[in-house]
Amino acid sequence: MSVFLSSLGFGLISAAVLAIATVGFTLQFAVTNVLNLAYGSVMINSAFVTYYLNVHAHLNAWVAMVGGIATGAVASYLLNRFVFTPFQRRNLLPITIVIVALGVDLCGTFGLQAIVGGSYFSYRQSLGRELHFWGMYFSTLQLTIIGICLVVMGLIHWLLKHTRLGKAMRATSANPSLARNSGVRTGHVISMTWLISGALCGLAGTVFAMNTGVFEATSAQLYIVLMLAAMFLGGPGEAYGAMLGALTIGVATELSAGFFNPQYKEVIAFVVLLAMLTFRPYGLFGSEKTI
Amino acid sequence: MSAILFYLATLIVYGAVDSMACLALNVQFGFAGLSNFGFIIFQAGGAYVAAILSMGNWHKSNGGFQQYVLGWHLVWPLPWIGAALFGGLLAIPFTLLVGKRLRGDFAAVGLLVSAVLLNQLVNNFVPLFNGAAGISIVPAPFQGKWDPQGLGYQFAYGGVAVVLCVLVYFLLRRVTESPYGRSLRAMRDNDVVADALGKNVQVQRTSMLILGGMIAGLSGAILVGFINLWSPGAWGYAETIVLFAAIIVGGAGNHKGAVLGALLVPLGFEEATRFIPPLSNPALVPALEWVAIGLLIILFLWFRPDGILPERRRILSGSKSVPVTTPPGVESDSLINLGNLDQMDFRQLLRIEGDTNDHGTILSCTNLTRAFHGVTVVSDVSIEVQRGRLTGLIGPNGAGKSTTLAMLAGTLAPTSGTIHYEGRDITSMPSNERAKSGMVRTFQLASEFKKLTVLENLVSAIPRQSGDSLPGALRGRRFWGREDGENIERAKEMLEGFGLSQYADNYAGGLSGGQRRLVEIMRALLAEPKVLLLDEPMAGVHPNLAHKIGDQLMALVKSGMTILMVEHELSIMDAFCDPVIVLAEGRVLAQGTMSELRAMKEVVEAYLVG
Amino acid sequence: MSVELSTPGQVLRATGVSAGYDGRAIVQEIDVEATPGKVVSVVGPNGSGKSTLLKALVGVVPVLGGTVSVGGTEITNLPPERIAKLGVGYVPQIDDVFPPLSVKENLEIGGYLLARHDVAPRIEAVLEFFPRLKTMMTRKAGKLSGGERKMLAMGRVLMLSPSVLVLDEPTANLAPLVATQLLEEYIRGFADHGSTVLLVEQRAKAALRISDWTCVLSGGRVVLSGAPRDLENNPVFVESFLGGGAARH
Repeated sequence: MSVFLSSLGFGLISAAVLAIATVGFTLQFAVTNVLNLAYGSVMINSAFVTYYLNVHAHLNAWVAMVGGIATGAVASYLLNRFVFTPFQRRNLLPITIVIVALGVDLCGTFGLQAIVGGSYFSYRQSLGRELHFWGMYFSTLQLTIIGICLVVMGLIHWLLKHTRLGKAMRATSANPSLARNSGVRTGHVISMTWLISGALCGLAGTVFAMNTGVFEATSAQLYIVLMLAAMFLGGPGEAYGAMLGALTIGVATELSAGFFNPQYKEVIAFVVLLAMLTFRPYGLFGSEKTI
Repeated sequence: MSAILFYLATLIVYGAVDSMACLALNVQFGFAGLSNFGFIIFQAGGAYVAAILSMGNWHKSNGGFQQYVLGWHLVWPLPWIGAALFGGLLAIPFTLLVGKRLRGDFAAVGLLVSAVLLNQLVNNFVPLFNGAAGISIVPAPFQGKWDPQGLGYQFAYGGVAVVLCVLVYFLLRRVTESPYGRSLRAMRDNDVVADALGKNVQVQRTSMLILGGMIAGLSGAILVGFINLWSPGAWGYAETIVLFAAIIVGGAGNHKGAVLGALLVPLGFEEATRFIPPLSNPALVPALEWVAIGLLIILFLWFRPDGILPERRRILSGSKSVPVTTPPGVESDSLINLGNLDQMDFRQLLRIEGDTNDHGTILSCTNLTRAFHGVTVVSDVSIEVQRGRLTGLIGPNGAGKSTTLAMLAGTLAPTSGTIHYEGRDITSMPSNERAKSGMVRTFQLASEFKKLTVLENLVSAIPRQSGDSLPGALRGRRFWGREDGENIERAKEMLEGFGLSQYADNYAGGLSGGQRRLVEIMRALLAEPKVLLLDEPMAGVHPNLAHKIGDQLMALVKSGMTILMVEHELSIMDAFCDPVIVLAEGRVLAQGTMSELRAMKEVVEAYLVG
Repeated sequence: MSVELSTPGQVLRATGVSAGYDGRAIVQEIDVEATPGKVVSVVGPNGSGKSTLLKALVGVVPVLGGTVSVGGTEITNLPPERIAKLGVGYVPQIDDVFPPLSVKENLEIGGYLLARHDVAPRIEAVLEFFPRLKTMMTRKAGKLSGGERKMLAMGRVLMLSPSVLVLDEPTANLAPLVATQLLEEYIRGFADHGSTVLLVEQRAKAALRISDWTCVLSGGRVVLSGAPRDLENNPVFVESFLGGGAARH
């Protein structure tokens, strides 16, 4: 029982980080149809900006985090503006965009490595007081991450369901041509989508690095696989599906780590992803692309 | 001096290994359109198998400091053969992922993820692969007899590697420059259409995945026998991206391009950076190497998407003339003249058999129904098509004409109902088999194979080509060459009949709308249909040309062919079709000649009122 | 009609318009003029280019030659969102709603260009017009029946009080009774209240009944145009649908 609860606790933290990342990733796919496999590289670059601002420039952690978020937003916006949109205008096969994204990922990840070097970095702060309830142990940092996740998910829900921009994003995702006929400047909506999803990406990178504590330039390279698993579980392009998928994958990986072998904890995510791709590529619930 | 020679020998081996890998991946990606992002799995798998087959039992060798399975201590070349076989076997489970229903980029993601997953497993599962440490002291072939560190041995090794690479080059060329290779490229350009012309795309994809896997396995074996190490860290998924970069740079769909790319990208990068003096930051050079590969991919895809050596256009007609450029637009189509069709003997050219006076039912469907997401588009349609007649299928927009045709051809599965063809129930027969048994369809939207020439488009459709299978292709031109020559002549005759000879060697994607229609009709005819299913063949065709086509369809029917045609241009129906079936709101409304139909109140209402 | 839904119409004029995809003209040299208070319909057989013409007018398909103007302002090849802003409301034949969005959200997107505080009252006004939608505001548009869906599509366009309505086969796939009601009550009603209506219809006779002027399209060109009562008895008109020479001009 205690193994179960402590694993569940870890799982909730993993899920919190994963949910922030996956929601941003899936929004990009929903609104612009780009499977942005360079997402992990933007995450880790943002994480390093936060780290630099916090540890070297001695800024308050929250201020530094804003720097990381801004990095993710701006980098994603530029990526779309100067790479993905020009390629998409040429009406290429979706696979070409994926290859381009992988190229961008190499540039982003190893460009960063060229600057910061191949060594590991760590936050030297304490994790804060340890709290435990119902048999689960959390550090203050971990609780903060879960809190951030809940707030962000709430904001995304509010954005998508209650704001003019969010509804325009969903309309653009569902039927871009009709959205334009209704007066929606879809180009603007797409730019905003990249800014918002990029901000989520930056935030995800920051909390990812804080949560692992020790990280290097290539740490997020494989994280994209967990995000893909979460996204395909909930249905590609579905924001709420992504939240649910992240929760499932996050908890499932940590539970399998607790009960089997921690070295294989990601295996379950891979298996889920391959099974979804093979048998239900539009997710457990979805039959078509919707946010 | 000898240091340079040793280095040269190493370069030769690496160059051969990378070239083999790129050649194999290029056949999958550039020819068959398979984005195998998990390619490295097959290379790594082959390398591992070669290693453990050549090593002795792990308990006994070197004090058992590393764990692995098998350890059969086989003599060369058995480990290499085992590696190739294993690479092929490994491909089989992945054929599930490249099934025809999955979007190309989703399948690619699946393969990429498989590569990552297997790497993780290998890194952590010690008994099978000795974990992250990998396997070392892998014996070189004939280690006991010759000194692997000797210069002679190293050059001999390089020589064997190059010979194998050359063999692979010619083997793959044999495959791709055959009728089978034509089918692979057709599948790459449009898999749904290739399927409708009788190509079994599932089998084609599986074959290419296995063939590529075998070559990848062999290339891994060559490498591991030379460097005597097998470490999972060297087989990360990113290595596949390097190979993709090589192919994009060299030129997808071109074997020489693949070799050039292999020499420039994996080999060139690896080696060029060796000469950079060590820096304070040891990660800098490898990191910049990756950045350069990323940039190379992006810049090439933007500025030179076809690579340094683009795919070659295949001239089948034998003429050396420069291809003609075509003026686009519907207007120019009115000027197309259908050549000397009157003199064509369709029965002979299209191998039509049977009695032209037999008008029995050849194709029928009963209570055919189809619903999309709960909306019924076709309901309870029962139709009989008679041998040797041109049956028309008309109806207002949304009447379910194209859906009915697609169900008859097998492109869509019916929700309920049955289809009978020549007395057999074919309701669950896959579309490519229906095509092989003589039911060939055309498509409403442009469906030419864009990067095949017009002549290749036509020849690709001819059934029962002895070179249109992997074994047939491997038997070489001597086996299929003469027959292919005859097929090309048949296609040329057809092309001449339709007055498009001068476009024989043009890429079909560059033709005008009307010309592409003609190519599609000719291609369908060369598939030797007993029943030809035409989906709006005159859409977007100038009326003058439409009537010329109609005349030819009549000639075909008189020669004994059966045609079912969906068409909205009713003047065509008037002139050529008997009988005409009217669909409205997913149901059969009436059947008869056009003049009979025009007298029926409900038909007029359906068209004018709804 | 109790509620004013559309603002006084403007003239929508196409002069010598050719349009199509990839530089290939599907419709050629079309002249059409729709004026306030009138229903102008475009009819013709399948594939004659009716939908392409409408799409070119509202900016979805590129215009390759000729000009389009609304109320004297040239709108040729403007982006669709600009054309919407100038008062042209377009209802496509298919994909006419946002399926995953609720009925209310569809209407809100329709009113995207309105000031925030005008949206809710405007939805009320549109619902007065299509009261049946009132009971299904939270339902997803993808789950509506054909008739309800078309009402929503029309309602979405009315959110911006368009001065010109461009409707592509609004009665396609509707039951005959619903179709008649849509055409005779609603669409005719818009024109009677001063709007400009340009309508593509496959139910040619039904279209003639409510039109003031009709163009017959065949093979991408206008082959016949005139007042409905002149067309109805013109043999060329029936032929253009059921064959017998029209396609050969």
